[in-house]
Order: sequence, then structure tokens, then C-alpha cells
Amino acid sequence: MNRLYLALPVFLPIFCGCVLLAFRDRFSGKREERLMNLGVEGLVVFNSLMIFMILAKLYGEDGGETMQFTLFRLFGNLTVMFKLDRMGSVFAGLIAFLWPLATLYAFDYMKDEPRRPAFFAYYTMTYGVTAGIAFSGSLITLYLFYELLTLVTFPLVLHPLSREAAHASRKYLYYSLGGAAFAFLGLVLVLGFSATGNTEFLAGGMLNLETAGAYKNVLLTFYVLAFFGFGVKAALFPCHGWLPKATVAPTPVTALLHAVAVVKSGAFAILRLTYFSFGTGFLRGTWAQWAVMAAALFTILYGSTMAVREVHWKRRLAYSTISNLSYILFGAAIMSPLGLAAALCHMTAHAFMKICGFFCAGAVMHQTGKTHIYELDGLGRRMPVTFACLTVSSFSLMGIPLFAGFISKWNLCQAAFAYAGQAVSAGVSGGWIPYMGVAVILYSALMTSVYMLTVLVRAYFPKDGEFNPLVRAGREFRDPGWKMLLPLIIFAAVILAIGLHSAPFMRLFLSIGGEAG
Amino acid sequence: MKEAIEFMIPGFCGMGMHFKLDGFRLVYVCIAVFMWTVSGVFSREYMAHYKHHGRYYSFFWATFGATVGVFLSADLYTTFIFFEIMSFTSYVWVAFDERRESLRAAETYLAVAVIGGMVMLMGLFLLYDLFGTLEMDKLGGMAGAVLAGGEAPGWTAFQGVEAGREAVSQGAAAGAGLQASGAWAGSRIFSSPVTQLYTAAALMLFGFGAKAGCVPLHIWLPKAHPEAPAPASALLSGILTKAGVFGIIFLSCVLFEADGAWGQLIAVLGLVTMFLGAFLAVFSVNLKRTLACSSVSQIGFILTGIGMSCLLKNAGEDNSLAVRGAFLHMVNHSLFKLVLFLCAGAVFMNLHQLNLNDIRGFGRKKPALKFCFLMGALGIGGIPLWSGYISKTLIHESIVEYMKAGGGSVFWKGAEWVFLFTGGMTVAYMLKLFAALFVEVHPERQAEFDAKPAMNRASKAVLTAAAVILPVFGMTAHLTMDRIADMGQGFFGGGGGHGHVVSYFSLENLKGGLISIGIGIFLYVVVIRGLLMEKEEGTGGKRYADRWPSWLDLENLVYRPVLQTALPGVCGAVFGFLDKYLVSVAVTVFLTVSTVAGRCADQAVDGIVRLARATTHSQKPEPKHHDSNQAAYVLGHMADKLAAFGDRIRRLAKGNKKKAEAGTGRVSVIPEFVRREQELKVTGKLVEESFSFGLMLFSIGLCLTLGYLLVVFLIW
Repeated sequence: MNRLYLALPVFLPIFCGCVLLAFRDRFSGKREERLMNLGVEGLVVFNSLMIFMILAKLYGEDGGETMQFTLFRLFGNLTVMFKLDRMGSVFAGLIAFLWPLATLYAFDYMKDEPRRPAFFAYYTMTYGVTAGIAFSGSLITLYLFYELLTLVTFPLVLHPLSREAAHASRKYLYYSLGGAAFAFLGLVLVLGFSATGNTEFLAGGMLNLETAGAYKNVLLTFYVLAFFGFGVKAALFPCHGWLPKATVAPTPVTALLHAVAVVKSGAFAILRLTYFSFGTGFLRGTWAQWAVMAAALFTILYGSTMAVREVHWKRRLAYSTISNLSYILFGAAIMSPLGLAAALCHMTAHAFMKICGFFCAGAVMHQTGKTHIYELDGLGRRMPVTFACLTVSSFSLMGIPLFAGFISKWNLCQAAFAYAGQAVSAGVSGGWIPYMGVAVILYSALMTSVYMLTVLVRAYFPKDGEFNPLVRAGREFRDPGWKMLLPLIIFAAVILAIGLHSAPFMRLFLSIGGEAG
Repeated sequence: MKEAIEFMIPGFCGMGMHFKLDGFRLVYVCIAVFMWTVSGVFSREYMAHYKHHGRYYSFFWATFGATVGVFLSADLYTTFIFFEIMSFTSYVWVAFDERRESLRAAETYLAVAVIGGMVMLMGLFLLYDLFGTLEMDKLGGMAGAVLAGGEAPGWTAFQGVEAGREAVSQGAAAGAGLQASGAWAGSRIFSSPVTQLYTAAALMLFGFGAKAGCVPLHIWLPKAHPEAPAPASALLSGILTKAGVFGIIFLSCVLFEADGAWGQLIAVLGLVTMFLGAFLAVFSVNLKRTLACSSVSQIGFILTGIGMSCLLKNAGEDNSLAVRGAFLHMVNHSLFKLVLFLCAGAVFMNLHQLNLNDIRGFGRKKPALKFCFLMGALGIGGIPLWSGYISKTLIHESIVEYMKAGGGSVFWKGAEWVFLFTGGMTVAYMLKLFAALFVEVHPERQAEFDAKPAMNRASKAVLTAAAVILPVFGMTAHLTMDRIADMGQGFFGGGGGHGHVVSYFSLENLKGGLISIGIGIFLYVVVIRGLLMEKEEGTGGKRYADRWPSWLDLENLVYRPVLQTALPGVCGAVFGFLDKYLVSVAVTVFLTVSTVAGRCADQAVDGIVRLARATTHSQKPEPKHHDSNQAAYVLGHMADKLAAFGDRIRRLAKGNKKKAEAGTGRVSVIPEFVRREQELKVTGKLVEESFSFGLMLFSIGLCLTLGYLLVVFLIW
């Protein structure tokens, strides 16, 4: 019974979402609507509490048991199973923290949109599926939930039902499913060479090194393919195209799914693939490592440069997401304990700062209807709380100290330097590539400051001050209601808290790195 | 102060913070408190006509906190954190007016601050990678060991390890990697630890130099200072630039305390900065811009002093003269600029103009303003009995001393003359400002000017208090300035003692100051009054002419085109191209190829049949079939007639004739008959053809079977 707890947070939201979807026509009146909101928020909060309870058990005083729960057996040893380890707990804790707040924000944001019940149904289902990814104990489970994630989030992108949305959602679907096919190839190979005969995650990799050694290049090729396959969701160049397009979705979707849940699932899957399936011992120092690292670095350059060129605010943030996700992938590609720790650190930090950034953009869109950067003149004074939160998030993205982004970038650079030092002194060819990573991060930080500061400067110090027509026209704009502000303030506070006192987080991440690297 | 007070917050902001209060830091914290107090009081009057007081004062005090944080920091990480905060909070000062020019200036300021900060961070990172710590006290010794040919702790960590390729590709490195979180894996991108140390220091010099206003990163000063509110300019110039200098002092006097090459670099940078700054100031016709350029120049003096201390130590001499000169000039410059910028503020808050031609004669009937400005001008000009003379003399002496010690005498002789000449230019441009404000007469508005009071009593009191310090320090140098120098010396890796006691007013020392003053007066008379002024139309007097070519601006000429156009243009174009074409071309090619291949596969079997029909089994063209459908017409017509007839009979029988006539609306069946007939024909043809085709296939099959049987039988 105890172990069933692990399945409950996954299946409860999926089930409730299905029920809501079935009865979506019943929630048309104002009273029913309020009831629905209350129910959805209650469910999400309950689910998050449940996840936190499970995490508390994992870190409990009795030495932290690893919970495990087998769903069913596909054939032979191949089981679909949930298992909670420290690595999964980071992702699970992250989404459990973000989901209730994002749902709260969504109520206000979606107030005037049509088809709300269906929206919230899929939104809630996504929670369950993402929790499934966090809890999955084997590569096959991860793969199943990964595919499922595409299917439940697809209607959310389609939600506005415009021509653009249809195009974007189709692109999303094709990219994701196509990518998953490559990931599937990797899965098959891993299963074939697995030391345990199944695909259960093992810290340090599950390959049987003796048999795998004979087919090294085949395995490496398929690792690269699977990396790019899972990389589709993590918006790795050249599979990034869906992400900027998908910003047509309502902001709660862009913010929570396309800055955290979906894209981080891709990054999380890659971390699982690298550190827990193939294993760093097998991959370290090979051409495959340099190939994926070069791809990640190129994506960082690409994303941050394109963000500067983009004038649509949400799309600019989407490009910024592309570059920041590749920071995580860069950490993954360093393939050392420090690299994993830095990747997890950036995963956490980026989740908070990007969701905060998107929510600010959404708040402005909701209150004023403005979507482009050049329309923001003078809004900083009209919506002080929103823009204060945006300032925190921007500074964090730029990597200014006191904020969370600085900690993760510092750790990333440190990991890259330490690893490159080892690799070069060991005479591994290609060992200089991580050094390039540090230069790339510097370039990207500069670009980040350009594309984030231009927004802030415009909002706070419009050209011509009070004489600017946009500023004059925008006098009546106000901060949004508490349902939208509360999440923003909490996220900004978390960014500051991580930035100021990162020691406990880093201890956790380093311990995970120590296990798996 | 014998014992330094230390304060640590471990783990804060990732790496912990470390503060320390020793002599140098105490002096600078005191100066910060003093400067903020004076400009705070002055702000009350200055800001009276502005909106957004809350914003101004909150950022005013936030910057105070950050600046004090920089000066108290005892490890570079803490320095960096406060440095960045200081940059961002002071940005708001520059943008405060929200006019187009101030926003542009603020943009420049922010860009320099951000780029400087990022580059500095890289330097810090390299340093941390090399030594595994950023504690200032520890770094000094370690760097010394590296420069002396020893090993860096990070560098040796992996040199002894037999780290073959296997160690990295197999799990062995995992343990080492984890250790690396605490201890240090040295890097190998640099050929030796010394190179890495130099690179790190150069990157940090970039960051600190950008804030200090060192050429060629001085561009923000002449833009930002005139735009910021005057109390803020005073602080920007007086103490924020000193935060950059603080970093450079650390680099030069702690990290590279006796490194000749580094000393030369700093000294040359200092000389270039001092000369160019003063040169710009001579040409400038804007009051606050002149003062800003003068700041650049004075920072150059300080840097020269710092460079000399490195060089002297390298030559094995006592470097305390240079150290004390540099430190005292820092202190002096903070005080000068406080006074001078606040005087400029008094002018601006009354007239809202800064061009020398517009503000001519404003100070004629204002003794307090005149006194304060005069004290500042005499101080910064290095006139004996004022404090600037003391510090400049010390720096000058250090150059002379280095020359005596035999370091490249021709070059340093030139340096000495650059020094003296720049001192002369300082005198010249201060003379220009003083003459413009207090001697000349405005052709139209002089009466109006004289009627206006310059400032209220509180402002006057604090400003005078600040101004009085300068001559007091200058006249009691041994009593006051020497003691301050004693306190600060420790941070410079101090030359221990006081050096030899300098008699500031000996003939030898007075000579340098007098040469400068002479040059200054000459420059003022010949260059400024002669070349840089033009006849004013109407009055017959002279006015200041802006002779500096407007295109000759480093920012607009180089930095902005490169950063705003070239860099994003090139990168953006490349990535935009990739985005637009690479992926879509790949998709198009893939789709085309797969479609063609798929179609081919689809129709492979059909194709064989079609081929057969086109070649071996082609049918003779049928004779043109005259499709008259005669039978259908005849039969249909008959059927129609019959039906119509039947109808009529039926209706007649009912006895309704009229209806019988009208009711012939029945549809003709002829088309139906024609269709049927054609269908029959087509079907017949199909049956015939497929039958014959089937027969043919059957016979082919039969032939094949027979052939097969034949082969089988033959082989068997």
C-alpha cells in the first residue's frame, strides 16, 4: 500500500483530467466555473502535497529509502516501473512547487478565453504525466511518459484554434514524435547491452561494459541519435524550431510547459540517458561527448543571438529558453560529477527565472494587450510589482551575483574548466572544447544582458519620458490581480533565496553528481 | 589602527563573503561617509525641482551601501558582487533626467559596466581556477610564488597524477572530478601558470579599468557625468571611479607587487590616460564635461603612481613614495571632485545650462561659490600649499627616483615631461573654468545673474566645509596627509617605513610644481585664449569655441558601430540564415526524396503492367466507334409513348379531361436507356479485355510452369 503512493500523484491528475474533459460542457455557468476552479486548484495542491510527502520520506531520518513500484511487465525483465531517487526528486520537487502557482495564475489569465474546462483538463493531465517522467525508474517508463507528454500538451498549444496555433501545434507534434523515434532507437540499444537485462536506471550507467566495448562506435552513434531525439523537447539546434512557434499558446502554457515542464523533461531525459543509462564511464572522452557538447554550445550561441534579433517579447524569451536549455545540456555533456551538479543547478534556477519572465510578459499582455518590446515604453512605472519581478528574473538570467542564475553559471564554468583540465592533461583529443564553453557562456551572458536590459530600460526609462505618446496613452494600466501577482512575487523571492543561500541546494546537487557522475 | 577587523559570512551567495576593515579601507569608508553626507545635504536643494525624490534617494543610499561594500571586501568575490550592484544602482542616477541625451549616456554607462563586469568575472574565474581561492591576502603570496617560477596549487594538482587517457575515459576520473569541487584541477589551455595569471589579471584590469575610466574605456565619463544630477556626478567621479582604482591597486600592489612588466603596463596606461584626459578637458566647452575629462586625467596620475610603485619594487628600491603619492592623490581627487562638481551643480540648478558661453560670469558676485571653486581648482592644479601639490609631488618624485635607479632613463625622462606637461594642462583648463565663471562678464544676462543667490545656507555650509579641507591638508601636510598615507600604506603591500621624510616645500620639489604652473599659464594664454576662442559677434568680446571635431569620438567611431552593428549584424545574419534555410532546406529535400521514393515503390508493380501494356501487349487502336445509341433511342421513345398513352387512358377513365391534358410531366426514360446501353458496352469491353488479359497471363504462367518443369526435368 505504501508504495502505491508513488503511482497516485501520477495517475490522479490524469484521471481527474479525463473526468473533467468528459464533463466539460457542464461547467458553463459562473457558479459551476468557480466550482471547477476550486476543484482544479484543490487537486493540484493536494497532488503537490503528496509529492512533497514522498520527498520528505526520501530524505527522511530513517536513512532515505528508495521507493519502488512496478506497474506492469512488458515482457521478460522489461518492466514499467516508478522509482524515486534523488535525481528524480529534484525534478519532482520543482514541478510540485511550480504547478499550483502556475494554475493559480492561469485562472486569472484565462478568465476571458473560451474552452476553459478543456484547457484545465489538459493542464492537469500534464501535471500527472510530468510527475510520471520524474518518477520513472527505467528508460522504458521514461520513454512512455515522454510520448504521452507530447500527446497531452498538443491540445494546449492548439488551444487558441487559430491558423497560427494549428500550424504551431502540428509542428510541435511532428518534431516531438519524430524525436522520440530516435530516442526509441537508443532505448533498444541500451536494452540490448544492458547488464541487468532490463532498462532500470543505475547511477553510473547500466551497460555491460565488456559486451558494449566491442560495439563501441555503434553504441556511441545511437547515443548521439538518442541525445538529439530527446533534445527535440530540450530545443537543441536544429530541432528547436517548434519552441518559438509554440509561443502562440496561452501564457500559462508557454511559461510552465515551454519553459519548465516539457523542455525540462527533455533535458531531464538526456541527463537520465547520459548519467544513468549509457553511463559517463562509457561515454567520457569519446567523439560522442564532443559531438553533443559542440551541438549544445552552438545552440547557446544561436539562441542568445536570435533572442537579440527578436522583437516579439514571448518569442524573445523562447529563444532565451533555447540558449538556456543548452546550458543544461552543456552541463550534461561535461559528463563529470560537477557537470551533473551544475546541470541540475541550472535546471532549477532557470525554471524559476524563466517562468517568472514569462509570467511577467503574460501579465503585461493580459493587462495591456501589448506583445512587442517596442510597445513597452514606460510600463515599468505603471505596473511596478510586475516589472520588479521581471528585473529580478532578468538579472538572474544575465548571471548577476545575488541571483540564482549566477550560481549556476559559475558552477557550470567551474565544471567545464575542471573537466577540460583533466581531459587535456590526459591527452584526450578534443579536450579543449569545454574551454570554448566558457567563452560561449561569456558571449551568451553579454547577449542576455542586451536582450533583457533593453526590455527593462524601455519599461523604466522610455525615450522622451512623459512626452512619449506610448507613455501618455498607457496611464490607466495597472498591476494585475493577486492571483497573477502572488506567483510572480514567490518566484522572484525564490530566485533571490537561491542566489543568496545556495549552499543546501549545491550540497544536494553535488551528492547526486557524486553518485552518478 | 593596528589590528584589522574581519567579518565573514560563509556560504552567502554561493562562495561566502569576507569583509575586512584595515587602514586603507577605514580611510575610504570615512571618505565615502563624508562624501555621501555632503552630497546628501546638497541634494536637498538640488533635487527640489525634480520629481521622483523617492527613487533618487533610494538609489542614492543603495549605491552608498554597495560602494562601502566594495571598499570593505577582503576577497575578490565579495568585491565583484558589490561592484556589480554599484554599477546597476548608479545607472539610475545617469538615466535620472530621462531626456534623450541622458538615456543615451546611461546606455553607454550601462554597456561599459556590464561588459566590464562580465570580462572581470572571466578574470576572477581564471584566477579561481588557478589558485582555488579569491581571498586577497592569500592570493598575493601565491601569485608571487607563481611568478617566481613556482607552481600554482591548481596547477600541480594534476601534474603528478599519472592521468592517461584511460583515467578520463574510465571511471577513475570520477573520484578525482568530485574532489575537484573542493581542490583544484588545473587547466591546460594556457601554456604555463604565469600566462594564465597574466590573462586573468588583464581581464580583471579591463573590468576595473572600465569603472576607473582608464583609456580607452573612459568613454562613459564625459557622457555620463554631465547628464547625471550634480551630487551624483560628484560621487560618480569622486568615489565610484575609485572602486575601479581599488581593484587595480589590488592587482598591481598585491598580486603583482614586484612585477616589472605589469608595472610598466600600468604606468604607461596611466600616462596615456592622464595626457588624453587633460587634452580633452582643454578642448571642452562644457563645465561638467571638462570636470569629467579632468577626472580621467587625474585617474591617470593615480595609475602612474601605482605603476611606479610596482616598478620601484621591481628595481629593489623603496617604493613608499609612489605608494603614498598614489594613495594621497586618490584621497585628494575624491575631495576635489566633490567640491568642484557641487559648485557646477550650484551653477546648473540656477541656470540649467552648462555651456561655458552661457554661464559666463555667473559667479562674479558670489563669494562663497567663488571661494569653494577656487579651493578645488588650486588643489587639483597642484599649486603649492594646497593638497594636490603634495600628492603630485610624491608621484613626481617617484618617477625621478626610478630614473635615478637606472630604469630606462630616456623613456622615463619623457614620462616625467608628460607628467609635468599634463600638470600644466590641468592648470590651464582649471584657469579656463575659473575665468569663465568668475571673471568674464555675460554680454546680456549679467545683471540677472548677479541678482540670483547661488545656493541656500545649508548647501553653502557643507560645501565650504568640504572646500576648507583642501588648503588645510595642503598646509599641514606632515601633520595630516602623512598620517593618512601611513594608514593606507599597508594595503599597498606597503614599503614598510615612511620612506625618507619628504620636505614638500624644498626647492627641488617646488621646481616641478612651478614648471607645471608655468606651462599652464603659457597654455592658457596662448592655446586657450589664442586658439580656442573666437570673436563674438556684436559685443566685440570673445567666446569659447568648440574646436573638437564632432566625428572624433571613440564611442561613435568604434564602439557603437562594432557592438551595435557589426557584431549582432554578422552573428545575427549567420544564425538567421541558418534558421531560415538550413532546416527548411533539409526538410524540403527529405520530403521530396521520400515522396519520390515512396511513389516509385507504390507504383513499381503498376509500372510493370503498364510497361507490358505499352509494349508487348499494346492493343490495336479500335476503329472509330460511332456511338449512335440508336437502339436506346428507339426503345426509349417507344417506352415513353407507351407510358404517356397509359396515363392518358387512366385519367380519361376517371373522366377528368383537363387534368389529362396538363398532367404529362413524366420524365423521358431515353437518357436512362442510353446510360444503360453504354454501361453494357463498357462492361462488355472490360470483360472481353480482362478475359483476354487473364488468358494471356494464364498462358504466360503456363509457359513459365512448363519451362520450369522442363528445366527441372532436364536437370534431373
